[in-house]
Amino acid sequence: MRSRDSVPAANMAAEELPSDFDIVILGTGLAESVVAAACSRVGQRVLHLDRRSHYAANWASFTFNGLLTWIEEQKEESKPEKIEDWSSLVEEGEELIHLSNSDPASITNLQVFSYTSEEEEADEPNTIEEEKAAGEDAVKESSETESAGSKEEEDAGPAEEEEPAETEEEEPEADQPPTSPPSNQSEPVRKKISHAQLVKEGRRFNIDLVSKLLFSRGSLVDLLIKSNVSRYAEFKNVTRILTYRHGNIEQVPCSRADVFASRQLSVVEKRKLMRFLTSCMEETEEQTAYSGRPYSEFLRDQQLGESLQHFLLHSIAMVTEDTPTEEGLASTRHFLRCLGRYGNTPFLFPVYGLGEIPQCFCRMSAVFGGIYCLRHSVHCLIVDKDTNRCKAVIDSRGQRISCSHVVLEDSYLDADRKRTATPPRYLSRAVLITDASVLPSDPDQQISMVTVPPTTTGGPSVKMVELSSSTMTCIPGTYLVHLTCQSVGSAHEDLLPVVTRIFRTTEPQEEDRRPSVLWCLYFNMADGSALEVEGHRVPSNVYVCSGPDGALGHEHTIRQAESIFQKILPEEEFCPPAPNPEDIIYDGDNASPGEDRAAVENGGNQEENQEKEGNQEENQEKEGNQEENQEENQEKEGNQENQEKKGDQEENGVNQEPEE
Amino acid sequence: MAIRELKVCLLGDTGVGKSSIVCRFVQDHFDHNISPTIGASFLTKTVPCGNELHKFLIWDTAGQERFHSLAPMYYRGSAAAVIVYDITKLDSFQTLKKWVKELKEHGPEDIVVAIAGNKNDLGDIREVPMKEAKEFAESIAAIFIETSARNAVNVEELFQKISKQIPPLQNAEVESNDSFKLTRQPNPTTRRCC
Repeated sequence: MRSRDSVPAANMAAEELPSDFDIVILGTGLAESVVAAACSRVGQRVLHLDRRSHYAANWASFTFNGLLTWIEEQKEESKPEKIEDWSSLVEEGEELIHLSNSDPASITNLQVFSYTSEEEEADEPNTIEEEKAAGEDAVKESSETESAGSKEEEDAGPAEEEEPAETEEEEPEADQPPTSPPSNQSEPVRKKISHAQLVKEGRRFNIDLVSKLLFSRGSLVDLLIKSNVSRYAEFKNVTRILTYRHGNIEQVPCSRADVFASRQLSVVEKRKLMRFLTSCMEETEEQTAYSGRPYSEFLRDQQLGESLQHFLLHSIAMVTEDTPTEEGLASTRHFLRCLGRYGNTPFLFPVYGLGEIPQCFCRMSAVFGGIYCLRHSVHCLIVDKDTNRCKAVIDSRGQRISCSHVVLEDSYLDADRKRTATPPRYLSRAVLITDASVLPSDPDQQISMVTVPPTTTGGPSVKMVELSSSTMTCIPGTYLVHLTCQSVGSAHEDLLPVVTRIFRTTEPQEEDRRPSVLWCLYFNMADGSALEVEGHRVPSNVYVCSGPDGALGHEHTIRQAESIFQKILPEEEFCPPAPNPEDIIYDGDNASPGEDRAAVENGGNQEENQEKEGNQEENQEKEGNQEENQEENQEKEGNQENQEKKGDQEENGVNQEPEE
Repeated sequence: MAIRELKVCLLGDTGVGKSSIVCRFVQDHFDHNISPTIGASFLTKTVPCGNELHKFLIWDTAGQERFHSLAPMYYRGSAAAVIVYDITKLDSFQTLKKWVKELKEHGPEDIVVAIAGNKNDLGDIREVPMKEAKEFAESIAAIFIETSARNAVNVEELFQKISKQIPPLQNAEVESNDSFKLTRQPNPTTRRCC
C-alpha cells in the first residue's frame, strides 16, 4: 500500500509540517487565498496557514452559533503575547522579525442586541440592550491602545469603561445576556421567532463579516471564470435595487424592462431616463465640460427631475453629492455594463455567503498541492541580514520552515512595520436578523441592494444588502440584513439612525409595518483600503495583504492579489484555467513517494504536465469562445442552455484526453 | 434519461484510500503510488439508476483533512458522503466518529452517509472487525460496505448503494430556485440596459 500511509487523526495534532516550501502564506482572507491558488496552480509549493480556527479571516461567514463564538473571541483576544525565545533556531547572519499573533485592532466597538425576549414583558429587551450598550463598546479596544484603539475610543462615546481587559475578562454580563450563556433568560414567544430558535437553527445561517456583492463584469467574476474556481460555488442574482427616499423604501428601475414596468415613473420620466442612460454610455463634450465638477451638478442640469437624480446618483452611480462628474459617469457606465449579463441587476451574491469565495480559492490551491493548516501560528520570520530577504519562518511549535517568499495578512505585522493611511479608516457594520423584508413583494425570496443616502449632512451613505433565505444565509421566515458605511463614529452611532428609521426595534405599534429586528450586531472593521501598497518595513520578499475594503465590489482585493503574484512570479500566468474533471489522469507510475515531501514534489511535476494540457485546452477554448460569442449575439440563449453548453465543453474535454 | 448531478464528498483520515476508491470507481485503475489529490477538483462518473442517470461529482479532500482543515464549503450541497477507514488501522476506525460529527455539523441535513472499510484485501492484518463497524454504521443509519480499491471489490457496489438511497427528485424547490454556476460565456439575456 501507499507508503506515505496514514497518520491517525488522533495524532494529527502531533504531525509535523513539511519544512521546505516555495511560498508560506499567513491568513486565509480573500487576497491571500487568491495568491495561494495562483501560486499552487503554476506549481509552487505553498504552505497556507491561519492562526484562527476558521477560513477566510475577516471575510468569514459564520453560523449563528459560530458568530456568537466569534464575538466571544473578539473579547478574549487581548492577552499579552508571550514572546518565546527562538534564538537557538537562528543561524549566523540572521535576525528575527516577531509577528503578531492576535488581531486586536481590526475589529472594534462590538455591540450585540437581542430583541427576542423570554417573558412577555414587552419592554424588557430594550432596556437590557441599552445598559448593555454602555458597558460594551469597551469590548475590544482594551488590548492595544494604539492607532486603532485610540481612534475608536473617541468615537465610541459611551465606551469610557474600557480597561486593560485582561484583568477583568468578565465584562459583567455586558452584552451577553442574549448571546452565548445558554439563554438563561431570553426565550419568549412574543415574536414568531425566538432566540432559542435562532440558536437551534443556527447552523442554517451563514452570516458574513463583510458585505459585498460581485459586479457581474467585475474582476472577481472574471477571475472565478478564468481560473475555473467558479466550479466550486453557486451564485444568485441580486433581484432588485432599492433606495431609501422620503422615509420610504422604493424600487429603483435600472434595466430597460424595469424602467418600462415602473409604476412610480411618469411616461416623461421614463423617456428621460432611457435617453440619459443611452447617452451616458458615450463620452460627450457636454460631459467633459463638467469634468472636475460634481456629478450631482451634472445630473441637476440634465432636467431629470428629483427622483431620477436620486436614483442615478445614489443607486446607480452609488456616489456622493460631491463626487466629480467623470468618476460618477464611470461608475454609472460600469453599472450599466454589468446589467443583463446574468440578470436584471448588475450584481451577484454567492449562495451560502461571501465567506465561500476565499474557501473556493483555498480549495483550488489544495487541489494543486497547497498544504492547509488552520489553528497554526507563525511566530517569527527569519531574515538574512545581508540580503534583507526572509529565508524561513518559525511556527508556534518552534519548527523552522524555509521558504522563498512570504505573503501575510496585515494583522500579522506589528503596527510599526505597516504603512497605513492616517488617520486610520474604519468601516461601520451592522448585521440584522429581521422578520420581514424592507419591501415585501410577491415572490418573497428577493435579494435586495438598498442604497441609503446620508440621513444627515456630512453623514455617511449606507449600503444595505438584504438577503432572503434562498441564499442559504438565514432561515425561512427571516431576512439577513447587512449595513456598511465608512465610519464617522462607532458602528452603532453611524448606523443606528438608519436602523431605527427602517426597522422596528420596539414593541409593534398598530400601523407600523416595518420589519422587526430580532437580533443585531454592530462592529467596526479596519478598512483594508487604508493599508498602503508599498512602504512597509518588511524584507523584500514579504508581501502584505489587506483585509476587506469598504467598496461594494472586489476590485481592490483582486488587484492586490494579482500584483503580489506578479511580484513573486513575474513570468507566470495568473490563474490559468484548471483542467476539467474529465481530463484528470491519475498518473503515478513514476512516483516514488516515500514521504510527504516527495509526494508534494512529485505532485508539482505532475502538475506541470497538467498545466500544459491546461494551456492547450485554454487555446482551444479561446477559439471556442470566439465562436460562441458570435453565436451568443445571434442566439440569445438562456441560463440553462448555457449550462448545458458548459456540459458539452466538458465532454469535448474528454475526447481531448491525451493518454491513459 | 434525465441526468442528475450528485455531489459526493469523501471523508476519512489521510491514507485510508479515499482517492484509490474514486480512482477505481471512475477509471477502474489502481496505483500504489498515486499522489492523487493533485489537480483533481472532483471526478465524475455517470451510472444508470432506475429511469435516471446519476452523474456523481466526487470531491476529494485535496489533502485538507490532513491537518484537520477541511473548509465548510467542501460539504455544501452534497447528496452523499463516503467516510472511509482502513480495516487494518484501528485508529482510522476510531476517528470515524469524529468525521461523522464533523459531517453532522457542516454537512447538509438530508445527506446520505456511507461507511467504507477499505483495504479488505489485507484481511490477514485486519484490526477492525467487520461486525463492529457494521453495528456502528447501523447506529447512525449509514450504508456499510467493505471495499478493496486494489482488487476492485465492492467499489461499484458502494456507489450503487448510494444511488439507491438518493431520494427521488422532488419538485426540487431548493435546487431549482435559480442559483447557477458562472461559466465561460454567460448568457446574454434579451435585455440590455438601454
